[in-house]
Amino acid sequence: MDIFVTGYGAISCIGLNVQEHFDSLLNEKSGIKKGLHPHSERFLVGEIPLTNQQLIDRFQLKANGSRTGLLACIAAKEAFNGQTEHPELKTGIISGTSVGGMDISEIEYRSFLKEQTHDLSKYKEHLSGNAAEEIANELGIDGFLNTISTACSSAANAIMMGARMMLQGQLDRVVVGGTDALSEFTINGFRSLMIFDENWCRPFDESRKGLNLGEGAGFIVLENSKSLAITKSTPLAKLKGWSNASDAYHQTASSPEGYGATLSITEALKVAKLNPSEIDYINAHGTATPNNDLSESQAIKKVFGDIIPAFSSTKAFTGHTLAASGGIEAVFGILAIQHGYVFANLNHRNVIEETKLMPVTKTMKVDKVRNVLSNSFGFGGNNSTIILGEV
Amino acid sequence: MKAYIKKIESIGHQDSFQKENCWSSLQILGADTQIIAPDFKEYIPAASLRRFSPVLRIAITAALACKNENAFDAISVGTALGCLKDTEKFLQTFIQSESDTLSPTAFIQSTHNTIAGAISMALGNHAYNMTHTQNSLSFETALIDGLMCVQEGKTNVLVGAADEAIPFLDLLKPALIQSELPLTSGATFMVLSDEKTGKGIIDCSVEFNATNTSKSIEEFLTKNGIEPTQIALTLFAGECPTTIGEKQINYEQYTGLYYSSSAFAVHLANDYNIERGTYTLIVNHQIHNKLGLTLVG
Repeated sequence: MDIFVTGYGAISCIGLNVQEHFDSLLNEKSGIKKGLHPHSERFLVGEIPLTNQQLIDRFQLKANGSRTGLLACIAAKEAFNGQTEHPELKTGIISGTSVGGMDISEIEYRSFLKEQTHDLSKYKEHLSGNAAEEIANELGIDGFLNTISTACSSAANAIMMGARMMLQGQLDRVVVGGTDALSEFTINGFRSLMIFDENWCRPFDESRKGLNLGEGAGFIVLENSKSLAITKSTPLAKLKGWSNASDAYHQTASSPEGYGATLSITEALKVAKLNPSEIDYINAHGTATPNNDLSESQAIKKVFGDIIPAFSSTKAFTGHTLAASGGIEAVFGILAIQHGYVFANLNHRNVIEETKLMPVTKTMKVDKVRNVLSNSFGFGGNNSTIILGEV
Repeated sequence: MKAYIKKIESIGHQDSFQKENCWSSLQILGADTQIIAPDFKEYIPAASLRRFSPVLRIAITAALACKNENAFDAISVGTALGCLKDTEKFLQTFIQSESDTLSPTAFIQSTHNTIAGAISMALGNHAYNMTHTQNSLSFETALIDGLMCVQEGKTNVLVGAADEAIPFLDLLKPALIQSELPLTSGATFMVLSDEKTGKGIIDCSVEFNATNTSKSIEEFLTKNGIEPTQIALTLFAGECPTTIGEKQINYEQYTGLYYSSSAFAVHLANDYNIERGTYTLIVNHQIHNKLGLTLVG
């Protein structure tokens, strides 16, 4: 069965919609800057420079809860592109998030600890599953909802879950992706792990020190042929492969040899029935932490051998948007296929000594991008890979 | 039948862990109820045990007690609120800390998928590993994933759910829910397989805008070719929206209040003595408009 991608939506520090993202990628314009808020001003982060109220007004949202939910609604709305509920189609929404409504609870909880008045009813917004419900309300979809929370691989896993449900005939059409707002909780979390770079992050560079955090959401719409016949949507790409495997090495670190990542990449190729040589671009997880990039490089070398496809991490554009990254990067994968581009791995100077893998350092027009492989790796050793291909 | 239940284990406020039948020592919970903890040291190394919050302890122990001679070929976990104790601890750490250096332990263990990740690490398991967090239907969505894994040909699938109560939740309770039931913690894990072993999960479905719940239940039974008279027991949470079932029991009086308690209802259904050809229906209607239906037989 073919799974068609018929819509995409993205919001992050490099754009409020897909076109703005594409422009930033072409112009090699990063959105990572000094933070705008008391909790972010000490760091370089990928913040979206609009307040919650500005987001609600600008995108005419019904949602009015956590920032995570607002970002989800914006990207999902762009992806759904005016489609509507249809009685003959089983439509679902599967969203990934790691922080949920933490952007609200952390403010309330601070007031609680400081013995200031705090609004207990606000904690309702904390729930991880709320963003999926808000998207359903925003799009007018009454169907299956699910939220996946596997840290930084959440969106990739949401995409995979959607595909599997379609293969089993449980859904005809599904909006899948991920969302995370930048929160004080995650800034301090990554700071406590000492994998924060105070300068611009440098994925796959020998001198890399850590990541820059970002925020955003990325969603795509998957449809089967029955759905296409009804919605008359134009396919942008196909979703061909997916996989999730467990590294089972450490709660936050990846195994140095990239065991889980190798499993995940290999299995996704198997699901897609593709040879490694048919992959024309890899959008790597590439967080720019010393551990991730080494581990991922080893896995790429193990699977692709001597002929490594063009690859890059786009984290130096957007920052690491955590649970949203797999969704935003799926959008980048579709753009690569549609327009025949591979995107720059910004801030790269020297290859990693152990692996010597050279990423694409300039955004380049290429003959053809047939298939894109996109990695997302999360805490808990959660390794996911999806493969998008031309229609 | 979508999948058979090969093994099921629960740790919570009932004396249910490694019992022949969880109904034998079932008690209605009072306000002062406590977790009935087994000896975690038998399952978790001392160094990890010190670090692990209550939800990690009960979930990992229940999961490991389900282990058999073969490696699990998929792990699917549902949790609504995840690792709350570590989440609160890390909030306190960075809000109250005077120092610029923060201990990362609570942050590392605060993500919702710490539970499923820690299980994979304890078992050295490299299989599919998923965490579903759809609020009061987190267990059902994890179960739907587990059932899909069995349909995909996997034969030893670990499915479970866990949630924990922290004192701060008691403070929030009046603002969030109207209920006399105590807030509790619980973990239930089960092994699903296509191998015929006693009872199994016939089907599971979720609905998020359930305005006509009795109609939803009728349609669910019809879809599975089951007559209402074949339901020997209905286990429900929240307002019971149906008169179907020879006997109806509110399972929350045994579990207390936590979002993924319907996993324990599967344990109750599995151990309930029913005649051949009859079934147990689980109706999770904890939250208005949100409906989880699971059929066990």
